[in-house]
Amino acid sequence: MHSSDAVREGLIPLLPRLRRLARALAGQVADADDLVQVVLERALARSAQWRPDAALDKWVFAIARNAWRDELRARGRAQHLFAPEEVGETVADAGAARPAQQLELAQALATLPPDHREVVALVLVEGLSYDEAAALLEVPVGTVTSRLARARGTLQALLGNDA
Amino acid sequence: MNTIDDDTLQAYVDGELDAAEAARVEAVLAQDDALARRVRQMCALDAQLRAAFDPVLDEAVPAHLSALLQAPAAPATKPAARFSVVAGGRGAHPASHRAPRRWLMPGAALAASVALLAAGLWWWQSGSSLVRTQGDRQFATGTLARALDRELASEPDAQAPVAIGLTFRAADGHICRSFTVRTPPVRAGLACHTTAGWELPVLGPSVPAETGELRQAASGLTPAVQAAIDARLRGNVFDAQQERAARVAGWR
Repeated sequence: MHSSDAVREGLIPLLPRLRRLARALAGQVADADDLVQVVLERALARSAQWRPDAALDKWVFAIARNAWRDELRARGRAQHLFAPEEVGETVADAGAARPAQQLELAQALATLPPDHREVVALVLVEGLSYDEAAALLEVPVGTVTSRLARARGTLQALLGNDA
Repeated sequence: MNTIDDDTLQAYVDGELDAAEAARVEAVLAQDDALARRVRQMCALDAQLRAAFDPVLDEAVPAHLSALLQAPAAPATKPAARFSVVAGGRGAHPASHRAPRRWLMPGAALAASVALLAAGLWWWQSGSSLVRTQGDRQFATGTLARALDRELASEPDAQAPVAIGLTFRAADGHICRSFTVRTPPVRAGLACHTTAGWELPVLGPSVPAETGELRQAASGLTPAVQAAIDARLRGNVFDAQQERAARVAGWR
């Protein structure tokens, strides 16, 4: 089988997880699905680079993280990517009413620097191990754990869970 | 020796410690209210994150995204909606795990045959005893017990003779895992961890012959298994992180 077929077919069952990761990274539903579209196009274009002995999910998650970083750069960090007024749209986009707690969570996540947000998305939302996240981000494991600890501290402080 | 540094505490929450280290942390937590409270705070935050993002797994995938993954020469009879496959385990229904037959392309079929052959060889070498009976109860033994102890659904091994499906904590507090024995005779079942080992409340034939789809077999969700899960499930099916943490904790 051609590698592009293997990648294409392998990605189908990964779509829900890819969308979850994108949502955790990008926040808004529309942004997240735009990100997923970019990721799928890149993955298909680069399918020859995927080695069948490598886990396809980690491979495509790395593409997703890099595409998200590219998107952040393109928009400019100073721009309003996660500005507070947009957080309201995040909730409205989801269609269903959500508890206020989740609005606060979206706002709290939006304050995290990208370095922290991506470890939260990969380890806490997607459930990767420290080793897997470190390999994907191409940083030492200690960097993953320290970013994760600081991100948790920030989130707990913002969410008022640290009382 | 009696203190736990921050990195270790976080690694404990994230299921990154081995059983011995985790036990040491737990011993200290039992004596240290402040540390125990920090663990609860971390777990609460993790639960909040999962509650916010896991529902995405159950959403229908937008058609324009699924369409990108269609085969270039896809038959015209293939509706895009068939790709709205829910993966990731949690809250999934058996029907949504049904894969289009087209997934089994010739190459995949060949790979599957090789896997089956390898699994068959393993079966032949290891003997066929996967179940022991104790009174009127059945327990996993041999390779089945080892797979239930070690394998993670989040790290599937297509070559492994046993495929793990869903893991969850049953209403009675025991951790249960659905599984499929890939080697003939293919069987699907549910195993619940008890002090006497992995008890098997359900074990039966797996794939209806007319479909013959390996992928469906891998989900392990026959009607009997699904019914057994429905009867026991309280709360959510474990995600990858909870599954790993449960393994670290010895499935207790």
